[in-house]
Amino acid sequence: MSDDELYRDALMALAREGVGAGRLEGAASSATRDNPLCGDRVTFEVRLENHRVSALAHQVRGCALCQAAASYLARSAPGASLADLSEARGALLALLRGGAATARPWPGLEVFAPVGRVKSRHACVLLPFDALADAIAGAEG
Amino acid sequence: MRPDTLAALRRDLAARRPVVVAKWLATGEERLLHPFGPSAGGDPVDEKAREAARRDRSETVETPAGQVFLLVYNPPPRLVVVGAVHVTQALVPMARTAGYDVLVIDPRRSFASADRFQGIPVSTEWPDEALARMGLDRGCAVVTMTHDPKIDDPALAAALRSDAFYVGALGSRKTQAARRERLMGMGLSADDVKRIHGPVGLPIGAVSPGEIAVSILAEIVASLRMPSEPRAA
Repeated sequence: MSDDELYRDALMALAREGVGAGRLEGAASSATRDNPLCGDRVTFEVRLENHRVSALAHQVRGCALCQAAASYLARSAPGASLADLSEARGALLALLRGGAATARPWPGLEVFAPVGRVKSRHACVLLPFDALADAIAGAEG
Repeated sequence: MRPDTLAALRRDLAARRPVVVAKWLATGEERLLHPFGPSAGGDPVDEKAREAARRDRSETVETPAGQVFLLVYNPPPRLVVVGAVHVTQALVPMARTAGYDVLVIDPRRSFASADRFQGIPVSTEWPDEALARMGLDRGCAVVTMTHDPKIDDPALAAALRSDAFYVGALGSRKTQAARRERLMGMGLSADDVKRIHGPVGLPIGAVSPGEIAVSILAEIVASLRMPSEPRAA
């Protein structure tokens, strides 16, 4: 089994697991982003403590890649600040664009590597990152 | 018509409930019947009212209690098109001309832009959400057009779980087979899934978006007006 196949299975598993799917009670902020070309829609709800994510939940209407990215964030983003998230997004974008290996601030980002070759799907993976960033920014006021 | 009958009738029509006003010609008695409602009984007038509402034709009928005039008020049929595509742009004005209330649903905002569908209600919700909010009744037809299972499938599942008189899905024979499998994976029965008209439209050799729209609308009209007609295979 190639690395790509391994990652594809891991991506599909992430999508199926739906980590963090649902509503967050007492959310400090909520933000929704959608992709006007394909209809994918992601809502993130967050609570912060000391500028770091203390709890989050998401509702995704979208493709498996979008669901996988939201699931990934639900696992990796707790404890992160807006700056951390922005750094992770930057690393993800570099990974998708196949640039030179940069430091990977969060473990497991490589799972999205196979998406790199399909430029039209980059947006599917980035959408949850942007929705979460909006939600955190909203909670920061 | 008595003022109280008229007031009740207006409430029912606003809620899209089919109504038959029955008037006993000998006595002048007047009653408002809900031919498909839960309280619709099995007495001769109820049954005749149901038939008249199905045919959408008012008429005088003979009953054991004498002649009764049945005045049918069906709400206008409604067409829900999922997917704001080229065929939809052709289908929408034709359906309106044929007397349908039309709603277009497409969560892809770049397709569902207001200037492509001037004067037509367009929703950018996901179709299952929009359909759950509006409610589908026996006067509704639902057609899916996006070719994206992510968007079409939840719309079809909602339509098949309703009393909608017509459910159609754009797509080739091959995609229809794959779609049937997916919908059955969502818990729908083989009989439910058989209700889908697909490939959609009457077989008239339609090629252009406008022609495909004609074939779809013709099939919808046939489903409404000739419900017992065997479906073309």
